[in-house]
Amino acid sequence: MFRILKKSLKTGVVTGQHPEAAPTVEASTSAAKDKAKLFRSSLAFRAVDTGSCNACEMEMNALANPVYDIERFGVHIAASPRHADALVVTGPVTVNMEGALKDVYEQTPDPKIVIALGDCAINCGMFKGSYAVTGPVERHIPVDVRIPGCPPRPAEILKALSELREPKP
Amino acid sequence: MAETRSYDEALKAAFPSIVQDDAALGEFSHFLVPKDLLPAITHYLHTQPSLHGRLTLVWAVDDRPVCDTYGLHYLFTLEPSSRWVLLSTELAGDDRLFPSITPHIHAAKWYEREIRDMFGLIPQGHPDLRRLIRHEHWPKGAHPLKKDFPWDRVLGRQQGEHHFRHIEGEGVFEVPVGPIHAGIIESGHFRFSVAGEPIMQLELHHFWKHRGVEKLFEQQKLTTAVPLAERVSGDTTVGHSLAYCQAVESLFHLKVPRRGRYLRSLFLELERLHNHLGDVGAICNDTAYALPHAHCGRMKEQIMQLNDRLTGSRFLRGVNRMGGVAVDLTAGQLAEIVAELDRIEKDFSELESIIASNASLIDRLETTGVLTERTAWDHAVVGVVGRASGLDQDLRRDRPFAAYDELQVRVVTYRYGDVRARMRVRMDEIHESMRLVREVSVKIPQGPVAVEPGRGPQAGEWALSAVEGWRGEIVYMVMAGESGKIHRCKVRDPSFVNWPAIQWAVLGNIIPDFPLINKSFSLSYAGNDL
Repeated sequence: MFRILKKSLKTGVVTGQHPEAAPTVEASTSAAKDKAKLFRSSLAFRAVDTGSCNACEMEMNALANPVYDIERFGVHIAASPRHADALVVTGPVTVNMEGALKDVYEQTPDPKIVIALGDCAINCGMFKGSYAVTGPVERHIPVDVRIPGCPPRPAEILKALSELREPKP
Repeated sequence: MAETRSYDEALKAAFPSIVQDDAALGEFSHFLVPKDLLPAITHYLHTQPSLHGRLTLVWAVDDRPVCDTYGLHYLFTLEPSSRWVLLSTELAGDDRLFPSITPHIHAAKWYEREIRDMFGLIPQGHPDLRRLIRHEHWPKGAHPLKKDFPWDRVLGRQQGEHHFRHIEGEGVFEVPVGPIHAGIIESGHFRFSVAGEPIMQLELHHFWKHRGVEKLFEQQKLTTAVPLAERVSGDTTVGHSLAYCQAVESLFHLKVPRRGRYLRSLFLELERLHNHLGDVGAICNDTAYALPHAHCGRMKEQIMQLNDRLTGSRFLRGVNRMGGVAVDLTAGQLAEIVAELDRIEKDFSELESIIASNASLIDRLETTGVLTERTAWDHAVVGVVGRASGLDQDLRRDRPFAAYDELQVRVVTYRYGDVRARMRVRMDEIHESMRLVREVSVKIPQGPVAVEPGRGPQAGEWALSAVEGWRGEIVYMVMAGESGKIHRCKVRDPSFVNWPAIQWAVLGNIIPDFPLINKSFSLSYAGNDL
């Protein structure tokens, strides 16, 4: 017990110890911002991987570490789409995952936001044109927010999410 | 060399009708085998105590555009010497049948189903000919790696349902999990049969994320496919790009400068470090012990930020290139890496003693998800999982690549094969990787970091390459095609061989321990599904 306390005291607070996100293009449209009004104080998202290389998953997992600590902004990860306000979709949509993606979209209660995370989800990236890839996410379900990058850095994801939910000036 | 000859002679004495191809001599032994002899000769290689051959890779090539045949290739690693033995056979004309070796060699099971799905060649006598990669909604006759299959026409759909193996009886239930999971995990399906809590059977149904990677390689030039290799499995960016680069470099007869090889080892160890740190934390987290998860997440983040500062990519993307590395480090940067790792090592050692003194955690990890040495051997399991089950294998020591011929790698093995053993392999490897990085920083010579490619290979030439990534052995086979294009690129992530083994490791465990066991294997879905 003493060892654990000592370790925690020695470590101190690490939250926010990361480089600033580079200024990027606006990820969300004003229509998406209107939709996100409801979720300004709390947003639960469900991650759906439709064929990513798993780098985007790793960066999303990093959001939950003490350095980024996404929960301090009221964002948490829902275990089921039925408990989610937003879907975060990564990867090009493969032929095998197409049905699952549509199912998840149906299961998520309205109003909902769909976030395409990473270049593959936005335009299929390197996997464009393959026989096993049916197209980007927006070909199957309506997309509100696009966060580019291969993969986007956690700080960039944080920035895009806070821009989406910030009150209009 | 004399030892090698004796293996070859023994094989030729046992099977007089096989022909040795001398072209490959030196790197590995290559034999041309009549297809009917395959089961006997592979069985001999696998079971003969002096050979102790581990099935390392099986691949097919559609050579029909050139010579009207399909080529089938079986690569074995002889365990005593780490020597490679390659058996090749051909299916000529309309012949689409080949004898299955799975009844003798369990590890061939998925490879043969893969060949059936991707090429439409049928392994006769295979005990399980259900579709593996082609989900049931793929149209009949769609075999994407056949050369006459268009790479860019999206597959149609048909009706179909996957048939799982059922256990029937009073009180037996099936629990389906996935393809979409509760955490931020990749997509895959698990079907459990349980009676009460203990798992009686687990069946995997993967390949949801199949993106057609091997076919996409065939659309690329040999010189331009590194970014695709980096995206086979994002968490193994360096491992995959290195394995690809090495294969192409042997096709181009390139010799990577020493400094380039040292930097490759350094980046590979950095990748191992951030992944192992993440996994140790995640294993603790799956027992609901969140404290180490938070600390490990923080340390992992420090290494990824270090990667970013050094190379401009948190995943070390764009580091490997054909002929060497694209990023050189200054003496100041090397000192920065060593100082950062020294800090993290001290930090991690303190955390280790906290973890080790938590009796309830250790109790949960011990005897959970045991993969016995025998089962691991039968499935030809590689990497961290194999070393935790007592298989003493590590390519960095056994078949040195990059700068490992000049670095002494201490291989970590444990015997028990449970979750704790897999966690301890990772913990010890974290220290070993940090030591290796320090050794690199001392020994690294001055000089260029890359060479430019010269004349390319002839169509039909091919090369093999293997890298010990953080998960285990990554193997690539790259075959050159016309005008600098790739004719065939076989990718094998360690996940492809380790996934089937998990079906045995969970037996008798309770379902709530499955996430823990799964995490301790820490396999890639993307690298498996391709």
